[in-house]
Amino acid sequence: MIYSINIDTIDQILLLSHCYQRSLVYNKSATSFIRIIGAEVICVVFLLDLVDVRLSFQGKTILDGISFDVQRGDFVGVLGSSGSGKTSLFRMINLLQSPTQGNISYLGKDTLLYPPTELRKRIGYVFQKPYLFGSTIADNLMYPYQLLKQETNLEEIAGYLAKANLPKEIMTKKINELSGGEQQRIALIRSLLVKPNILLLDEFTASLDEENTRVVEELILSEHKEQKLTVLFISHNIAQAKRLAHKIIYLEKGKLTFYGSADEYFVQKEL
Amino acid sequence: MNDLSLAMTFVLVLLAIYLSYKDKIGLEKEIMIGSIRAVVQLTVIGFVLTYVFDLNNFVITTLILILMVYNAATVSAKRGKDIAHIKSMSFFALLAGLIVTLGTLLLFGAIQYQPSQVIPVSGMVIGNSMIAAGLVFNSLQENFQRRREELEIKLCLGASAKEASASILRQTIKNAMQPSIDSMKTLGIVQLPGMMTGLILAGLPPTDAIKYQIMVAFMLVGAVSITAFMASYWAYKSFFTDLEQLRQA
Repeated sequence: MIYSINIDTIDQILLLSHCYQRSLVYNKSATSFIRIIGAEVICVVFLLDLVDVRLSFQGKTILDGISFDVQRGDFVGVLGSSGSGKTSLFRMINLLQSPTQGNISYLGKDTLLYPPTELRKRIGYVFQKPYLFGSTIADNLMYPYQLLKQETNLEEIAGYLAKANLPKEIMTKKINELSGGEQQRIALIRSLLVKPNILLLDEFTASLDEENTRVVEELILSEHKEQKLTVLFISHNIAQAKRLAHKIIYLEKGKLTFYGSADEYFVQKEL
Repeated sequence: MNDLSLAMTFVLVLLAIYLSYKDKIGLEKEIMIGSIRAVVQLTVIGFVLTYVFDLNNFVITTLILILMVYNAATVSAKRGKDIAHIKSMSFFALLAGLIVTLGTLLLFGAIQYQPSQVIPVSGMVIGNSMIAAGLVFNSLQENFQRRREELEIKLCLGASAKEASASILRQTIKNAMQPSIDSMKTLGIVQLPGMMTGLILAGLPPTDAIKYQIMVAFMLVGAVSITAFMASYWAYKSFFTDLEQLRQA
């Protein structure tokens, strides 16, 4: 995102300082982030920006010095072996946990400074294990509207159900009547109904068969294209990462060992 | 009832001891200690209350009520050991229940602020509220542990700590109030409560005794609901950080 500003307020000076600091951290030229044209400053503010993020729990380091940035419309695959810190990374971005050190910014502002409820509405998170609450599917799909203080839009729900290859009648079903795959799709729709700008997906197709994996991937891709939804997804499926990701983050024992374009990653790894 | 008649009722305790001994239940010592403690504690409180009633002093009566609330708060707080500031929350929830109920009874002239009326009535209010607060703390602790995933999912969707906890709070308050409501429903059909029985035994006509019992039933429901609401709405916050994250178990 590019901001064009005139430096005449303290806030703008702080914003300029913020951009400059980020550029130093990345060892990139400051001028690629800030261009001074006369009295005007052009400043790049990322949708999501992690700087030297560390997380430790009970003396054990879980994430160590993670820095990367995400721009609007990115589709990022987060790869790495089990226990490499992928889920912890998502939990911190969604503010379910706070980093021990470093900072995470959303649109140039530290996530810790946002009201948590507002931030989480903008950064959605679908867990690996689909958990449905209440007694019926309607309880789950109407909940986002309650949180947004809006009337339930049944047409919108029906649209998502159709895209996810689920019948409208599923709304009246009890949560324990659904298969694992159906539950996962409902959990995904529930998150999409909040209309986040960024969606974090933790192994979102792990419990789905091949056909339903394609259906869900299509649903995410259509949101990505139509709504400019930015997606970060954790996957152990290399073929899926190849199909979907534009960028790859690779974590190894809590450290970021690769961040770049997906093409570059797959060429480098000869995959 | 004279003292000899009272002493003779101890035969029933001896019967309980005999049954325990005969069937090797092993409760003889417990029953003996329990009955001796009951006699000693009630005798002491009988003398103390006689003294306090005769004194009829506003400050001393109020101090006794606060002491009763404190003792009850200590007991109910044990049901929620993992909850931060549990003792003070328990104390203020019980105090709030007592102030509102007692205040209402005094306001409408149902009782006078005299130790002989206020202390026994408060004893019933605090005792029932203590059970309700204990149920609240126990239920919150159990639910916040068992339903952690549901809470985090709701937080992820943008729910506030209060919104995410709403269904737990509803269930907790309902569980805490249910015994009082059930008890009220069965009054006179299944049970003749202790207070009413006592008044009838003391010679009051049953038609007068029921008036007091109705008052007691209403005040207990009021006190229990206030305590359950306040305890729940204070205590749930201690499960979250300032950033509306669930605290580590």
